[in-house]
Amino acid sequence: MTLQHPDLASSLAAVIRPIGEANGLPNALYTDPALAETEHRRVFFASWAAIGFAHEVASPGDVKPVEFLGQPLLLVRDREGVLRVFLNVCRHRGMKLVHEAGNLPRAIRCPYHSWCYELSGALRTTPHVGGPGTNRHECIDRATLGLIEVRSAQWLGTVFVNLDGEAPEFDDYAAEAMARWAEFERDYHHSGADSSFTLEVKANWKLAVENYCESYHLPWVHPGLNSYSRLEDHYHIEAGGFSGQGTTVYRPMLAEDGRRFPVIPGLPEMWEEGAEYIALYPNVLLGVHKDHAFAIVLEPKGVAETQEHVAIMYPDVAVADAGFAPMREKNAAMWKEVFEEDIFVVEGMQSGRHAAGFDGGRFSPAMDGPTHAFHRWIAEKLGEV
Amino acid sequence: MADGAVPVAAAVDAHAGLDARLLEAHRAGDTPRLVALYREAADAAEKRGDADAAAFYRTHAYVFALQCGDTAADALHAELKAAGREE
Repeated sequence: MTLQHPDLASSLAAVIRPIGEANGLPNALYTDPALAETEHRRVFFASWAAIGFAHEVASPGDVKPVEFLGQPLLLVRDREGVLRVFLNVCRHRGMKLVHEAGNLPRAIRCPYHSWCYELSGALRTTPHVGGPGTNRHECIDRATLGLIEVRSAQWLGTVFVNLDGEAPEFDDYAAEAMARWAEFERDYHHSGADSSFTLEVKANWKLAVENYCESYHLPWVHPGLNSYSRLEDHYHIEAGGFSGQGTTVYRPMLAEDGRRFPVIPGLPEMWEEGAEYIALYPNVLLGVHKDHAFAIVLEPKGVAETQEHVAIMYPDVAVADAGFAPMREKNAAMWKEVFEEDIFVVEGMQSGRHAAGFDGGRFSPAMDGPTHAFHRWIAEKLGEV
Repeated sequence: MADGAVPVAAAVDAHAGLDARLLEAHRAGDTPRLVALYREAADAAEKRGDADAAAFYRTHAYVFALQCGDTAADALHAELKAAGREE
């Protein structure tokens, strides 16, 4: 398939040049709804996109409907504790099955003709399908009419889906990131509302990624961090499928009474004062520290509208206790302030993308490597036939 | 009044009462109550010898039992299967 936008192919070619010569992605990819549709297929559907968090369906029977890029999806945790993602539609007439999050003890009932599905997705009954009072018919093979499962995976408390079914296995797709953060592979505990928030950003989702994965802006946009986390204390991270930054001077939050969050035992020395922040392409921003992690799922709501769903998670279940509530709230407030400080630059770049003469911009070879890596990944995805 | 008139009238009244209770349970979204009432309707239909109506009501009881996790679902399924109405 050929991209129909004038000059797009040459603009994308300019993105994949060496960083010192490259331009950023062209304006149309931030402003043109038609290209956003193309991006959905080639970038989101063809990769592993983040759609939510495992803690949103924490208990057996928990269900949560999610509309992601117009796709009606349903997160379900079955009675054995297995989390799956299905298309949120009945196999009968395509009715949307679940309209709000909740707990279903045994079955998912379609509100239209009451076809019922097990939490595992199996079709359990088809009322009156053979006429009133007869719930079977030779043409209705229940074994082939279970809910349509979407490939899904979980990592660092985040739920990913591959909507076109063609991506490599998630463990291969994210192998390098998973290997880098192998010590952080564990069950995380999320304590609910005090560790979650959503930010509304009037900007294309890619701008949030671009801003997140570089440290260049930190002293200017986050002066509060500059007092101890100086620019020279950061390093770039560039790898296959993700990029970001690390710091060598992470200082854990200290409560007024001197308490700290429990840390992951046995971490290598580098994590004593280190922390890393990566964007796993396309749409999740992750951070790990010795005492907590967070994930930001970027949900594109329009070509210039993004919801940032933030979840802060702790490796030690003790942090979920009420005694830690003030520290959890303080930690969430600290991160919220940082993420909110980024909004004006992300929205400012969105405004700038309406400047017809802007060529996508240039990159600092010294400072913008992680951002260029993301642009290049997008350009390559969009350029694939 | 002829013999039998009173029982027929009582049955009609009971049926009307059941309809009203079913509607009320639907309005309230009271699924466990719907299981009980549809089961009652199925039993009444069975007593009348109306196997189709009994299966119809039992199906509804079964569906709502599945929805709310009522343990009656297994028995209702077995009854429907025995009647050739369910897999």
